[in-house]
Amino acid sequence: MEFGLFMELSVPRPWTVDSERLVYENALEQVRLADELGFDYVWAVEHHFLEEYSHCSGPDIFLSACAAQTSRIRVGHGVIPCVPQYQSPIRVAERAAVLDIISGGRLELGTGRSATWPELSGFGADPDETKKTWDEFVRVIPKMWMQERFSWDGRMFSMPDRAILPKPLQKPHPPMWVAVTSPGTEVDAADRGLGCLGLSPGGFADSEKKVQNYRKRIQVCDPVGAFVNDKVLTVNFLSCNEDGDLGRRNGLKVASMFSYMAAQLLSAKEVLPTHSYPSEGLLPALRRESGSPGDAAKSFKGVTMGTPDDVADAIAAWENVGFDGINFIHQFMEVVPQQYVLDSMRLFAEEVMPRFKTGTAARPVAAGVA
Amino acid sequence: MPLAGSLDIRPLVDGAPEVVLDERELKVDDVDILQVLYEVRVADREALVPPALNPTIPPVISFLVYRAKGSAFGPFALAQLRLTARSGVRPRAYLISARCDNPALAEVLAGSWGFRIAPGEISLRRFHDRVDCTVREDGRSILQVSLVDPVPVTGHDVQYPPGMHLARVTRGGVLKPRIVQVDSEYVFRRADRGRPELSHFDLEAWGDARLVPDIPVSASFAACDVTIANVRYICNPDIPASEGTEKVSDA
Repeated sequence: MEFGLFMELSVPRPWTVDSERLVYENALEQVRLADELGFDYVWAVEHHFLEEYSHCSGPDIFLSACAAQTSRIRVGHGVIPCVPQYQSPIRVAERAAVLDIISGGRLELGTGRSATWPELSGFGADPDETKKTWDEFVRVIPKMWMQERFSWDGRMFSMPDRAILPKPLQKPHPPMWVAVTSPGTEVDAADRGLGCLGLSPGGFADSEKKVQNYRKRIQVCDPVGAFVNDKVLTVNFLSCNEDGDLGRRNGLKVASMFSYMAAQLLSAKEVLPTHSYPSEGLLPALRRESGSPGDAAKSFKGVTMGTPDDVADAIAAWENVGFDGINFIHQFMEVVPQQYVLDSMRLFAEEVMPRFKTGTAARPVAAGVA
Repeated sequence: MPLAGSLDIRPLVDGAPEVVLDERELKVDDVDILQVLYEVRVADREALVPPALNPTIPPVISFLVYRAKGSAFGPFALAQLRLTARSGVRPRAYLISARCDNPALAEVLAGSWGFRIAPGEISLRRFHDRVDCTVREDGRSILQVSLVDPVPVTGHDVQYPPGMHLARVTRGGVLKPRIVQVDSEYVFRRADRGRPELSHFDLEAWGDARLVPDIPVSASFAACDVTIANVRYICNPDIPASEGTEKVSDA
């Protein structure tokens, strides 16, 4: 199993001149520690306009700082919205290549298409088009990296023959992923030979079905890049403490705050009658629970909170489902003290990680070999 | 931290309907529903909804118009102005006010589900190129809203969150302000979506002059069977719903 940190960089109000700096500095301290402890990935999201929830609109810059302050952890640039109103695929390829060079070949590229109304409408994007534009982005980016000069005459964008520079350090190119929240996106990932970056914690049965389907489809995929990335990661909340009650209490603080802040954002699905967004994106499992407004959000089975044994049990269950790794949301809105977060990571690395580690994060492999 | 409502409900309580909580449900077949959504630009989002609820980012108003050819109370049209909200993590719509052209039904909607409702003349007309709705009060137009260029979608693509209606409910022998959660079920026969168009909107008449429409979001028109369920939950408007919700059957 591989383990990563998943950074939203949420900034609680009231905002002072130092609020954002403090969140970024705490995050960098966590990343330095994660590097020392043997975590495999640090992922940084790309979000815009999502006040408090995520102030991570320049993830490549943040990840460059992460790369400069670490030596081995892989830097996950994702999820990048593959929507032309947000950015051109040329700029994505260029910036990602810089990050791969700066990090010494540690880049993982996560792709997606945004699911919130504030972001899509903020950029004037057409929600009906985002699946199509994502598809074109993921087809062209590896070509931009691998071909000395590149030209394209496509549906979303066209460009004359130009050298897109620099080229990434990893050859043939860095691993590529797609964020999976909507039903069926795991099929899109498999068919294109892309890694599956799960973003919605869900039930075991549903997840197992998705993973099995992905594994089956990717056997016969037509990869968009030069190789197949067949890994499947999920996301969970990490809070590990010798005092199990404290671990669960603090973990639930993080999870509850994440749920509340995510729920506050209008999803595209909620306000747009479109089949382009069949799910609500963020935490659909929580949202779908009908009933009283007074019901506390039910905790999922399999949350990675509590004592090291509790956390290990939960991870074992996810491993049995078929996941290759877990990215952890270990802090949100600074609801738990920084020292607690660091201690939780240390205890996890000492007591839990060794039970699941068999190697290091995989590097790119040639097409058909993975 | 999550945004929490701060609307002072005291000026609204006197005009809130008195609700008798019972087992009544209302089933209406073959209802045409127009829903048009607009973002509103307002400095103080929190002040739009009571403390029991949470505002959304961004706040969005919806014009939700029903037209039924028949019901237990005869044919009717009902127009609601609602505001997107959350109750904890759950999507809800806070009712600002409503108009209805069937007095007998309006009385029931107010008395059983807390619709803040007034008489109005409502026209909802579907053409192949557009759907037009007008609402008039005392002979004067208070709303003209349309869906333009309809294209088919499925019922799964359309969402109408449960309503949250400020009402007065007897608890422990005393009439108290409560938010009544109104859950409805929809069985869709067809659905279209299109471009929203707002020609006229009398904010004062609808009850909250702060809800100035800004960015058009979406418009849908559906034909479906609707069941408004009996009230299962109410909550104290002055405290977060997570703390102030009561199950009606437990009372």
